[in-house]
Amino acid sequence: MAISKIEHFFIEITTNLTGVVTEIVSGKFAISEFKIQQSIYIACPFLEGTLEALTINDPFLIEGMVIVSNQKEYNVDVELLKTENEVAVLIHNRTNVYKYAAQLNQNRNDLFFLKRELHEKNIELDRLRKVADKANEEKSRFLAMMSHEVRNPLNVILGYTELINEEEVSNQVKEHLKYLTISGKNLKVIVDDILDLSRVEAGKLQLSNAPVDLALLIDQLKNNYKSSHRDLDINLEFSISNKLPKFVFGDDVRLLQILTNLINNSIKFTQKGAVSTFVDVISLDKKDVKISFKVTDTGRGMTESQAASVFEEYQQNELDDNRIHKGAGLGLAIVKRLVAAMNGTISVTSKIDLGTTFQVDIPFKVDTSTVIKSTSEDVVNNNYINSSRILVADDNFLNRTIVAHILKKENANFTLVKDGVEALLEMQKETFDLVLLDINMPNLSGESLIKQKEAYHQSNSKTPILALTGNSSIDDIKGYLKIGFKDVIPKPFTSAQFVDLLNKNLK
Amino acid sequence: MIAKKVLLVGNFGVGKTSLIRRFVLNEFSEEYISTIGVRVSSKIIQIENQEIKLLIWDVAGTSDDEKVPKAYFLGSSAAMYVFDLSREETYKNINAKVDIVKELSGLKNITIIGNKKDLVSSKEIEAIKKLIPFSIDLITSAKENENVEDAFKELAKQTLN
Repeated sequence: MAISKIEHFFIEITTNLTGVVTEIVSGKFAISEFKIQQSIYIACPFLEGTLEALTINDPFLIEGMVIVSNQKEYNVDVELLKTENEVAVLIHNRTNVYKYAAQLNQNRNDLFFLKRELHEKNIELDRLRKVADKANEEKSRFLAMMSHEVRNPLNVILGYTELINEEEVSNQVKEHLKYLTISGKNLKVIVDDILDLSRVEAGKLQLSNAPVDLALLIDQLKNNYKSSHRDLDINLEFSISNKLPKFVFGDDVRLLQILTNLINNSIKFTQKGAVSTFVDVISLDKKDVKISFKVTDTGRGMTESQAASVFEEYQQNELDDNRIHKGAGLGLAIVKRLVAAMNGTISVTSKIDLGTTFQVDIPFKVDTSTVIKSTSEDVVNNNYINSSRILVADDNFLNRTIVAHILKKENANFTLVKDGVEALLEMQKETFDLVLLDINMPNLSGESLIKQKEAYHQSNSKTPILALTGNSSIDDIKGYLKIGFKDVIPKPFTSAQFVDLLNKNLK
Repeated sequence: MIAKKVLLVGNFGVGKTSLIRRFVLNEFSEEYISTIGVRVSSKIIQIENQEIKLLIWDVAGTSDDEKVPKAYFLGSSAAMYVFDLSREETYKNINAKVDIVKELSGLKNITIIGNKKDLVSSKEIEAIKKLIPFSIDLITSAKENENVEDAFKELAKQTLN
């Protein structure tokens, strides 16, 4: 805008003491609003009341007033000087200045209200987050409790199924028992998965960072499948690169879980052919290694949309055969979360009728300090249970019966009691080779009993005490080992697992 | 007919302009447009059998560290201090703020108005009343046209004192 003459910006008027315009001295701005012998208050209502109150010969300035001219609003500053007979009125058009001030003012105030709104929303969000956290905690607690409650009867079902299977029964009954066992085991996987997922969601998943022998881990995986999938029409193949460092820092239990879940998933969707696991090095230097774990199957494959949602929770792709394997659709969701927790990535490629490949890439720190052990310590071939004095405390009659059956078969010398108080009395009067304590028992729980060391110290100070429990999460197990249990037997268990664990701890 | 100059002061966004719009034009807008400078409106009302032309100065709202220019108060007969019932910062130090208005205006009494009644519960209003060291003249809602007329009548009465 070109600089205008000063008369464009102000008008000078004289009024008498009652506000009647007596002279228009100068100016062009809003000139049409002012007429001789007319009240100045028509154009300047803000002067009414103020004009009368002016002190004589005392110049006065009021800023930011609004006057209307030709239906347009103007912001003006007004200078007034009252004398004995008249009032000089100088009106400056300051619209342009006030326009910017108004915008700044509006922005400042809008910002203030936005900040306030944001603050209130944050408070509300925080409240909702707390509600959600509490609900999630409740859910985890509920799931943990339910999981425990389910494990006990499941142990009984699987235990008795195993016992019946050892009897002389017809082939048809054997066939029925097979499906009963598969269903029971499947239910166990579901319970474990739900509990695992709830723990991951609640942020309670803590990964260990201990030396892991990857070759040994794959061997263990191979052994696990040797017995459980011998009746399948699928070859299970394992291949491990010789470039792998012997030890890396990681969480062997969770790695095993990742691979088991992937292999189980592949087995589920593969009727013929092979499920192959490849472990290879992507990159390696002195300190770091990135390893790829690939599980490939020759199964029915997936469509692109199925593959896209395969890691979502409760995602179940329909099986087209009549097999009764069917999980809760949580296995791969758990794998994805575990891989992410290890700073790794997971991907899937699949072709219909050709098969599917899952690839997990995980970075590890190389462990050069761990010395390779010359022999494997876990192979237990001898029967140490034979003639051993074993105390078993479990409040569940059916569980006691199963344990009794196994111990009898192994020729153990055992005592059964139904709660912690009875167990303590037994431990005070007799020395045992091994004690099995159920965790949740009335009167005195296994957890409380093991803490009362001085009460049984005299006769059983060196006796290995094992926890027998449905609370079999990694965190639970760590907790039990911390308070003095030598080992944990998670329910449900097979008689082979039970015997192995007892022999290991009696050795 | 006598004309009386009155001022509405208070923090920005408490609804001074909305109260005046409701009183003078019987209108309300949800849109917030901050006032710059001073806008003068007028309305004739009847108080104690006499007609008064109220010249209502809608003074731009202030933040906590700003004062209304003293010049605005010249010749004013009454002033209304408006606060927002839903914003604690507008009535937190109301005692000190009202004292400043009294000092600038030379007025002994200031009409105290708690606006935006529609945004708070009666329980909250009771809590605010307990918090404020002097009595609130009226609780208003420009949005729902509650007690607005009475508030200006109260203000007009002050001009006659």
